[in-house]
Amino acid sequence: MIVIAAVAMFDSRASALPDPTGTFPGGLGPGFYPFWSAAMVAGAALFVILRYQVLAGDTQGVFAKREAWVAPLKIALPMIVAVAALEWLGFYIVTALYMGFFARFIGGYRWYWVLAIAVLFPLVIYLAFERGFRVSLPKSVFYEQGFPF
Amino acid sequence: MEILTGFTDTLSNLGGGFATALMPFNLMLLAIGCFLGLVIGVLPGLGGTSGVAILLPITVFIASGGEGGATSAVIFLCGIYWGALFGGVITSILFNIPGEPWSVVLLFDGFPLAKRLGKPAVALASSFFASLIGAFIATVLFTFFARALADVALAFGPAELFAVFIMSFATLVGLGSESPAKSVMMIGFGLLLAAVGFDTITGAPRLTFGQLEILSGIDFVPVTIGLFGIGEILASAEEQGIGFVERMNAKVGLKDIFETLRELRKRIWTVVATAVLGFWFGVLPGHGATAGSFLGYGLARQYSKNKANFGKGEITGIMAPQAAADASAVGSLVPMVALGVPGSPTSAVIMAGLFVWGLQPGPLLFIDHPDFIWGLTASIYLGHLMTFVMCLLAVPLLAKIMRIPYAIITPFIVIISIIGSYSLNNSMFDVFITIGFGLVGYWLRKMKYPLAPLVVAIVLGDSTERELRKALIGSGGNPGVFFASPLAAILMILALVLLFLPLVRMLRERRSARTDTLNPS
Repeated sequence: MIVIAAVAMFDSRASALPDPTGTFPGGLGPGFYPFWSAAMVAGAALFVILRYQVLAGDTQGVFAKREAWVAPLKIALPMIVAVAALEWLGFYIVTALYMGFFARFIGGYRWYWVLAIAVLFPLVIYLAFERGFRVSLPKSVFYEQGFPF
Repeated sequence: MEILTGFTDTLSNLGGGFATALMPFNLMLLAIGCFLGLVIGVLPGLGGTSGVAILLPITVFIASGGEGGATSAVIFLCGIYWGALFGGVITSILFNIPGEPWSVVLLFDGFPLAKRLGKPAVALASSFFASLIGAFIATVLFTFFARALADVALAFGPAELFAVFIMSFATLVGLGSESPAKSVMMIGFGLLLAAVGFDTITGAPRLTFGQLEILSGIDFVPVTIGLFGIGEILASAEEQGIGFVERMNAKVGLKDIFETLRELRKRIWTVVATAVLGFWFGVLPGHGATAGSFLGYGLARQYSKNKANFGKGEITGIMAPQAAADASAVGSLVPMVALGVPGSPTSAVIMAGLFVWGLQPGPLLFIDHPDFIWGLTASIYLGHLMTFVMCLLAVPLLAKIMRIPYAIITPFIVIISIIGSYSLNNSMFDVFITIGFGLVGYWLRKMKYPLAPLVVAIVLGDSTERELRKALIGSGGNPGVFFASPLAAILMILALVLLFLPLVRMLRERRSARTDTLNPS
């Protein structure tokens, strides 16, 4: 948090102070608001650190246990891979693969159920969003070849 | 005597309005509008504003070919708005993903009540009842005071509005159950995120680091979807394990409805007060339901006896913001029809419709087209009642969603989150923001940082800066403007008191601890 605040303060330092010369309307330049917001973050973060130096925090060691990060990682990794693949595979193929992956490897469903889930969910989303509400979702590289997804 | 004549005139006009709104064609349009709004509200990424905008072209045919003309068209569009107001809460409460910007605040207590305390039906019914009451109160105020209030609202300047926003932030610091320093840090972080992009006054890019995608700023919807929707999935994977399936009672009977009504009776004055304040906030041009809902939540928390329960499934934390949001939405129509100044983005789209149908919004609308005004007013009463009944009938079905197996519901929430963030601006960058903030949300949760101040600051950050700078521009850069009017001064002083409250509390605790050490008996 301190690093984020420091970067923001550095970036907006040019017009951080009230300007009485009349260059900016109302005496505040574009950097005033982000600079002091960042200063607020930095000040509060320093206070939290100092307080933790004096009093032992109740959040110390929360990531020490293996379960604290293994289970979330098992969920986060496929999600990150799916989002990264969106630009090439498009929304509908990614939905089919992602839903199918969960059904098979987390839910332990039989293959015919996996197939049904992988087909039905993207189809319903396609009908509701693309056809019903005219909301266009990311398409795959196959879209150019005439495929609807 | 004059007041009595005015009152009876209003009632007689309203009677005429009901006659118009109850015409079978208008009633059918209202029902279709409410249902479509409900569906739009449930789907993340499709807001009430975009729903109204998408269906605006249809209203041209309704206004020109229908028997009710422009009145039928506005009844249809407003039906979508009311439906979306109710529908937005469903995904917030059941999935922890905001269906609409104004239902973001329901993530704080709605989801914990549904999931952690196992009362999805009570959580949903609480929000529906609060919506109905909030809208009813606001519509009564709209009926009798629309024109008078529009004039007063114009006198509410930037300094007063800035003071209102500062008070909202101060409430989160001064009365929050979490560490005040952590709350301040989260508020600062939220304000910082809200400042990213073009500066609206000078046009200079801020904190963009040369990236074109963030020139238009970071929208709060992808951030909140990530913080709450994705963050919750990661947190529950750790706390309850992968594959965990809810075993809560999803049946809703009269018992649940009666329980909600009992809870509502205990909080009725809070709901009424937040509805009146929400309505007033909606009347102020440029804000609308989202800011109103956050204000309602902050005020309810400030005056609640159960402050410690907020964020853990407190029913007041659902009822108060929901009543305020609906009342704000109704209030936002006041400046639109009375002055031609839209009170919210959705009312701006509805106002565009007025121009398309050949009507000129403003004071003359009340004189030249009374049938339109009173038909609209009556349809607000009917539309909310209709949506309420639709929602209540659907509660048992909606609550069963919580029993869908983990292996289906978890990826489905991720997929819906992606749709919600992408469809906002057709931007992959927003999807990355959602996933990034999902990870950040998980970390913040683990480190016991409060998420509410962060979200409130992102939502209100832009408006706060805008009002601050408008006030200073108006006063030639003199900061004394924030204490110049009695109202602004009172609000600012109250905000300062609330900000320093934790410090006073800490000093008092320290003194009592020292006294205990000196007198151990």
